[in-house]
Amino acid sequence: MNSPDFSKMKKDCQNQRECFEILQSIIDGEATPQQKEHFMKEHLEQCMPCYKSYHLEVAIRELLKAKCSQHAPQELVESIRKKVIENLAQ
Amino acid sequence: MEEVIREQYSEREKQSIFNQEFMPHINSMYNFAYRLTLDSDDAKDLLQDTYLKAFRFIDSFQKGTNAKAWLFRILKNSFINDYRKKSKEPSKVDYQEVESYYNSEDVDRQITPDLRVEALQDMIGDEISVALNSLDVDFRTVIILCDLEGFKYEEMAKILDIPIGTVRSRLHRARNLLKEKLSEYAKKMGYKNA
Ligand SMILES: [Zn+2]
Repeated sequence: MNSPDFSKMKKDCQNQRECFEILQSIIDGEATPQQKEHFMKEHLEQCMPCYKSYHLEVAIRELLKAKCSQHAPQELVESIRKKVIENLAQ
Repeated sequence: MEEVIREQYSEREKQSIFNQEFMPHINSMYNFAYRLTLDSDDAKDLLQDTYLKAFRFIDSFQKGTNAKAWLFRILKNSFINDYRKKSKEPSKVDYQEVESYYNSEDVDRQITPDLRVEALQDMIGDEISVALNSLDVDFRTVIILCDLEGFKYEEMAKILDIPIGTVRSRLHRARNLLKEKLSEYAKKMGYKNA
C-alpha cells in the first residue's frame, strides 16, 4: 500500500464501528474481494482513523505471531509418540 | 467433528493418520494448551490427554477433513471438562454477563484505545504475551485461534460450539481489550500519547 497524503485525509470517521468490522474481516481473510477492494480504495486512504487502525491491527498480529508461539518440549512429543505406539500394540 | 460417521481404519492406517495428520499440529496444540491453562505442567498433561483421546477416537475422524480443527476442538473440550474447574485463574466472568457485554453500548465507547504502531515496536519483551494471558479465557481463545492459528470464523464456530455472529463479536471485543492492555504498557513505557 502506498502511503497516502495525510493532509488530505479525514480526521474523523463517521462509521468507526462498521469500519472496524470490515477492517477486521479483511485482515482475517473473511471479506469478499469486492468488499476489500472497495474499503481499501474508497475509504482507507481517505480516512485517518481507519488507516491508523488498519496498520495497528496488522502490527499487533505480527507481534502476536512473533512473541506468543510456544513450541512443545521435545521430550513430551516423544513421550506422546511412544504412548500411542504402546496403545497400538495392545 | 462428525461423530455419526465412523470409519474403520486398519492399525496401519491409524498410525499413518496419527503421524501425518495429527503430529504436525503438535506445536500449535501445545501453545493452545499452554495459553488456556497458563501452566506448563497442566499444558503438558492436557496435550498428552488430547492426543491420546484423538487416537482413541480416530475412527470418528474423517480423512480429508480438517485435522487441525478437529484436534483443537478435542483440546478445548478437554480443557473445559477437566481443567477449567481446577484452573488457578480467578473465577470466570459469568458467561451470560460476558455475552451481554459484547452487545452493550460499552463496545462502542472505547472503540479504539489510542495506541500507536511505534509504541508496539518497542515491545520487544514479553509484554504482548503477558497482555494476552491476562485476558479472560474466552477472549484469549478467539485471538489465539484467529490471529495465531489462522482459523476461519466458520471453523472457530465449530471448535467453540458458538454461532458465527458470536465469533465476530467476541473477536471484536477481545481485540479491543488487548489494545487497552497494550496501551497501558505503552503508557508505562513512557509514551505520553501512546
Ligand atoms: Zn473510517
